[in-house]
Amino acid sequence: MAYELKDLRASYDGIPVVDGITLDLAPQSITVILGPSGCGKTTLLNLIAGLKAAESGERIGFERCRFSYAFQEPRLLPWIDCRENAAFALSGALKRDEALARVDRFLAAAGLSEAAHLRPGALSGGMRQRLSLARAFAYPSDILLMDEAFQAVDLKMKLELMDVFLSLLSEERRTVVCVTHDVEEAVYLADRAVVLSSRPARIIDAFPVDVPRSRRALGAAATMDAESRLYKLALAPERPSVR
Amino acid sequence: MTDSTRPSSGRARALAGGASLILLLAAWEAASLAIGKEIILPSPARVLAVAISLYPTPPFLSDLWATFLRGLAAFGLSAGLGIAAGLASGRRPIFGAMLAPILTVIRATPVLALVLIALLWFPSGFVPIFTAFLMAFPIMATSAAEGTLATDPRLLEMARLFRVPERELFLKLRLPSAAPHLLSGAKNALGLSWKVVVAGEILCQPTRALGTGMQDSRLLLESASVFAWAVAAVALCGLTEWALGLAARKAARHGL
Repeated sequence: MAYELKDLRASYDGIPVVDGITLDLAPQSITVILGPSGCGKTTLLNLIAGLKAAESGERIGFERCRFSYAFQEPRLLPWIDCRENAAFALSGALKRDEALARVDRFLAAAGLSEAAHLRPGALSGGMRQRLSLARAFAYPSDILLMDEAFQAVDLKMKLELMDVFLSLLSEERRTVVCVTHDVEEAVYLADRAVVLSSRPARIIDAFPVDVPRSRRALGAAATMDAESRLYKLALAPERPSVR
Repeated sequence: MTDSTRPSSGRARALAGGASLILLLAAWEAASLAIGKEIILPSPARVLAVAISLYPTPPFLSDLWATFLRGLAAFGLSAGLGIAAGLASGRRPIFGAMLAPILTVIRATPVLALVLIALLWFPSGFVPIFTAFLMAFPIMATSAAEGTLATDPRLLEMARLFRVPERELFLKLRLPSAAPHLLSGAKNALGLSWKVVVAGEILCQPTRALGTGMQDSRLLLESASVFAWAVAAVALCGLTEWALGLAARKAARHGL
């Protein structure tokens, strides 16, 4: 079943933040929402998750959805090990033994099996981010929301994390909504890219990135069209929605 | 990092502690020699001799045990109720507002006044427990309330988004976040509990109590014996503080 947002509007203290967003999310696809910093991307994620009530508009198909999250910073509990960190997030969704079985599976997929009993303080920054991703995938969600999850790291680590993300996704397909302000990240990951204006967020453009994943790489010729289109949109002066 | 700011090793700290203890004993010995009257200030050697003969006796051990139980009861009550009240007031500002004047009144009331009032209400053996509980309760409640506010809001948001149940949230996030505040409060509360329990015993004279032994020695003008009882109280306080630190380190190793 597809998920649909219809003409969603939201504001903070009377100041419009999201202004008439209409968007379909195809099941088990990766939708990357690209927009400038502070444009209302996180608010849009909160609207999708139902954490913020929309002033008007509709959310269709989300009624019984479970959401999981990956954040810009890993948000780990420093006093418990990797396995317990992930199990903590799953504690409301699954029985403990089921939770631990899933945690072990996704820690393995993220290449963290050997670090399962280490605390976050003993991990590198990249490993902590991988744990955050493994936790988000281990949580039995219908939709995974990612809030600039690859932003706080250097380029090499970003590439490594994006590959870990794709490997986790192949372990168990999920509908993913990822917000970012990074064009290359959007092209690398997206099945569909959605470009937002600056605040209040409106959709400037939305189009599929129909390049096989095996041919994608940062700066690859195969992705040049999508990349240049996104750069033009991201850098262009504001214009009304063309959807 | 300069030499003056580098953290000292455990061995260096132990040496420094030992040196300061020797310095204290030397100052005590010097003062005792200068005064020259054992009844006013007995020498450390004399106190040691009295302690060696006093400590193994059954009455002393029985008094020490009774005081130990009173201190433990007072600390346990203040820790349990103080943490509960503090956590509740940290989570619910209205509860905090209700608790604040009560804590202020308790803090402002002199210990001796509390002991005298409690003597009207309770048997003499319970008065030191009640008084020490009241003195230590505000410390624990304030530490717990501060600890609640110390939880990282980003971790709380993460837990809320993943719909972590309240029990798990409390045990794995709120309690460990509050732990440094609770530990510091517990150390202060424990030290105060011993002081107030012994002071209460001195005033109330329960049948079996370290404070009663101390007061009896004072009435008989056995100054060295008073010092020996006091040293036992200090040791009791030091040992329990050490045990608390050990328990806290163990809890930290096990993820609490």
